[in-house]
Amino acid sequence: MGSSVKTESNLKDSSSKKINFAEIIKRHGILFVFLLMIIGISLRTDSFLTQNNMLLVLRQVSVKGIIACGMTYMLIGGEFDLSVGSLVSLTAVLVIDFHDILGPFAAIIIAILAGISVGAFNGFLVGFLKLNSLIVTFGMLFVIQALTLLYTGGQYVSVSNQGATWFSIIGRGFIFGIPIPVIIFGIILIIFGVVLSKTVYGRYLYSVGGNPIASKFSGIPKTYITFSTFIITGLTAAIGGIILGSRLMSAQNYLGQGYEFDIITAVVLGGTSLFGGSGSIPKTLIGVLILGFLSNGFIMMGFPYYVQWVVQWAILIGAVWMDVASKRGKILA
Amino acid sequence: MKSKTGIMKVKDNFDIWDFVQKNSIWLIFVICIVFFSIMTPNFLRVRNITNIFLQSSFIGIMSIGMTYLMIDGNFDLSMGSIMALSAVLVIGFMDYGIPVAVLLSLLAGSAIGALNGLFVTKAGINAFIVTLGSMLGVRGLVYIYTGERALVSSELAFSEISAASVGPIPLPVLIFLIMLILGELVLRYTSHGRGCYAIGGNYEAAVNAGIKVDKHIIINFILAGFTAALAGILMASRMNAATPTLGMEDHMIVITAVVLGGTKLDGGFGNLIRTLGGVLVIGMIRNGMNLLNVHSYVNMLIMGLILISVVYMDQKFDPLEE
Amino acid sequence: MKKRFITVILCLTLVFVLVGCGSSGDEAAPDIDEVVIGITNNNVGIDSYQTTHYETFREEAEELGVETVRLDATGDPALQVNQIEDLIQQQVDVIVVWPVSGDAIVPAVRNANQQGIPVLIANSPIDESGFELVEGFAGPDNLTQGKYAAQMMKEALDGEGKVVELMGLPGYVTAHQRSDGFNEEVENYSGIEVIETQPADWDRSRAQEVMEDFLTKFPSGQIDGVYAADDNIAMGAINALEEAGRLDEVKITSATMFGDGYDAMKEGKIYGTIYQSPVEDARKTVQTAVRIATGEEVEFFNYFDTPKVTLDNIDEYERPIW
Repeated sequence: MGSSVKTESNLKDSSSKKINFAEIIKRHGILFVFLLMIIGISLRTDSFLTQNNMLLVLRQVSVKGIIACGMTYMLIGGEFDLSVGSLVSLTAVLVIDFHDILGPFAAIIIAILAGISVGAFNGFLVGFLKLNSLIVTFGMLFVIQALTLLYTGGQYVSVSNQGATWFSIIGRGFIFGIPIPVIIFGIILIIFGVVLSKTVYGRYLYSVGGNPIASKFSGIPKTYITFSTFIITGLTAAIGGIILGSRLMSAQNYLGQGYEFDIITAVVLGGTSLFGGSGSIPKTLIGVLILGFLSNGFIMMGFPYYVQWVVQWAILIGAVWMDVASKRGKILA
Repeated sequence: MKSKTGIMKVKDNFDIWDFVQKNSIWLIFVICIVFFSIMTPNFLRVRNITNIFLQSSFIGIMSIGMTYLMIDGNFDLSMGSIMALSAVLVIGFMDYGIPVAVLLSLLAGSAIGALNGLFVTKAGINAFIVTLGSMLGVRGLVYIYTGERALVSSELAFSEISAASVGPIPLPVLIFLIMLILGELVLRYTSHGRGCYAIGGNYEAAVNAGIKVDKHIIINFILAGFTAALAGILMASRMNAATPTLGMEDHMIVITAVVLGGTKLDGGFGNLIRTLGGVLVIGMIRNGMNLLNVHSYVNMLIMGLILISVVYMDQKFDPLEE
Repeated sequence: MKKRFITVILCLTLVFVLVGCGSSGDEAAPDIDEVVIGITNNNVGIDSYQTTHYETFREEAEELGVETVRLDATGDPALQVNQIEDLIQQQVDVIVVWPVSGDAIVPAVRNANQQGIPVLIANSPIDESGFELVEGFAGPDNLTQGKYAAQMMKEALDGEGKVVELMGLPGYVTAHQRSDGFNEEVENYSGIEVIETQPADWDRSRAQEVMEDFLTKFPSGQIDGVYAADDNIAMGAINALEEAGRLDEVKITSATMFGDGYDAMKEGKIYGTIYQSPVEDARKTVQTAVRIATGEEVEFFNYFDTPKVTLDNIDEYERPIW
């Protein structure tokens, strides 16, 4: 929330500096979509614009948001990862199952290691073998889902004595009234944002995704950069799985199914290009919030979730169209 | 094994690795047949073969549209949703008579395809995003239209369409094969076909050569929508009903079949005969797994591994490097 | 070009040779003592109920000494149609179908019927137009379970209150039946009103999210009851209610008990649920199928007992393993 407020105030600053209005719409179009949406929904329902609901939505989006941070790196580097949804189920199942065997701390470590290893395997396939990430990670989606099902035998896993463990704090606890998942999300946003904009790694990432040929000549190791983005995304998926596991204190085999599309939609809504080389963490936050408020708002208005899909279609096309149109300077290609 | 050595004698300077790469789909095809017929006696009965063809024809019809799209370097994630949309529409409009209903749902499918195509070409949005959007959006429309429930056709004549057969060949299979042959001819001998290869091979060069890229791409998206709609109608006829959950994962099965057939993911290479190979292999695996009583989890694992190895083959094999 | 032609010819030859082998194999005399049951499941692994059903089905069949072919439609109605046909191919003695969609399987079931293979419907019903095509139904009565849940809700709320409903996955028969049963029964009670329904997809995290949104939309005092399609959904709702500190003001009933729900009921978090055992469900199904295969007459509806469970009688039941 913090950084979105910041962006809004930036916007006010820039408008006071007499920059022409059309320019602002072009550059920050997605913010207007966001504001319009918030206003629209809050006119329809009273309980939407309340502090409680805002916190609620923030917590609901935190899992997808954390993974979206990893996915932003992934898309900036010019690749995809469609396997994050099933990685969430795998890590959630692992953390819950090992909780009762080895205790919460070891279980968390195992889940994180699993996330990193799967990410590394994806990264090996895409980075080193140079395979098409879209199809490979889609294949991995099936493979990971099947492994999860084979591991649990298709049964639910749950923590047996829920009162006697601190594990539930991660998903359910609060610090100063702010839910812990939101705090984790916030920390990850800041770290990812800073690394992306202030470090050599971030520069390399933009360069690998934006201009692979030039980056090759300037000696940037594309292979390793791609490899690292998969590990990072795997790590974020594992964190997401752990938070979800802790929220539910149990895990289901299809937990997180379909997250990949929501997450990619969110990142793309924020203006990250699928061709790599552009995008930023604050913008991803906006994308994540749009989806979160849309989903929450539609339930508030009493529509089933599939009505939201139709609106999401329109917003996705509209937002990306605006984005590419402003970059090339005309509406039609 | 015999077949390979047989050919080797015919031609001395024959490079076996090259041969394997160029015809990998047909080798996989043969391996599948041998494997499944050893494992299960029912596999190679005439009835089961008809069955495999019938089951594959729905995926097959869609893969025709997808092959065109992938040759020009695009793809469509929304085909499964379009299939569901046309299936529910054809049942929903059954009261106006079968021809009207069929026509309407073909139109609807093509219209969604055209919309996708316009967004990709005229708005200049990446095909992944465009079709990801319509995949969800069209599925939403399907749920809204059906009110979540299955629609059932009151017209028994409608279910005859899929059940009909010409000689021993079921009608859906016949439609699939005719479309496949027509599609292959168009691909080889018309300017549209050549345009597709040119666009997928080198987009900039195609633009510079004065090829109307947008037109070709839009046509292919419409074709994808049309084939998805056709598959949906036939599927609705086969079930005499349409459920809103129809075809949830079909777009990916179709892409797998097409890539398995050797169509390059980056475009510029591929043909429908190879796609037929891919479709039949997927159909055989799905059917064979059922006959073998393989647990669905393992089935899922195998499908995933196939996809990964297919992409590996796609990467290792560069047909334009001759 | 020539090479490819040769390959195709070789493939086709191989096919025909193997077809010859295959068809000579099927003349082996069938063993009359050996019953083979084929089943196509709905979606194994999506919840513990279906998994336990799947495993028990195998165990029970082993115990009775019959062979099984167990397939899984993974929630795809079109795939289920294919699987019914694959089972017809295998000439099993009886086909058990756990419908993904009760409407879409009717033509495939008719096909089995024409081939002289009896069909037993399990767990979720087939559309009424298919009644004459099947031998019977074995499983729970989900409509009644929904009604039971409504009756218990009335008890819990003393006949007055506002209820929110968390449904299963839209498009699935079971989800709709449990919803229909509940809503039909509630209409008889003037004091009880269902103020909102949302799909929770049999998914605990989804249920939790929806419930959180409900709790914001309806401030304290505006929700008196939650009806969950199963205990998994109920557990999600309980998580949300506990966090909001509003568990005390809300009574929860669900339509099927799971292991977690058993514990929650003992802690007083769930008021009432229904004991629907996948073990009993699977056993009843296997037994009925065997009776059909051996030519015995069976009742059309073979419901197994699904009693109401509240804190008063929970000790009569063991904690579910599913």
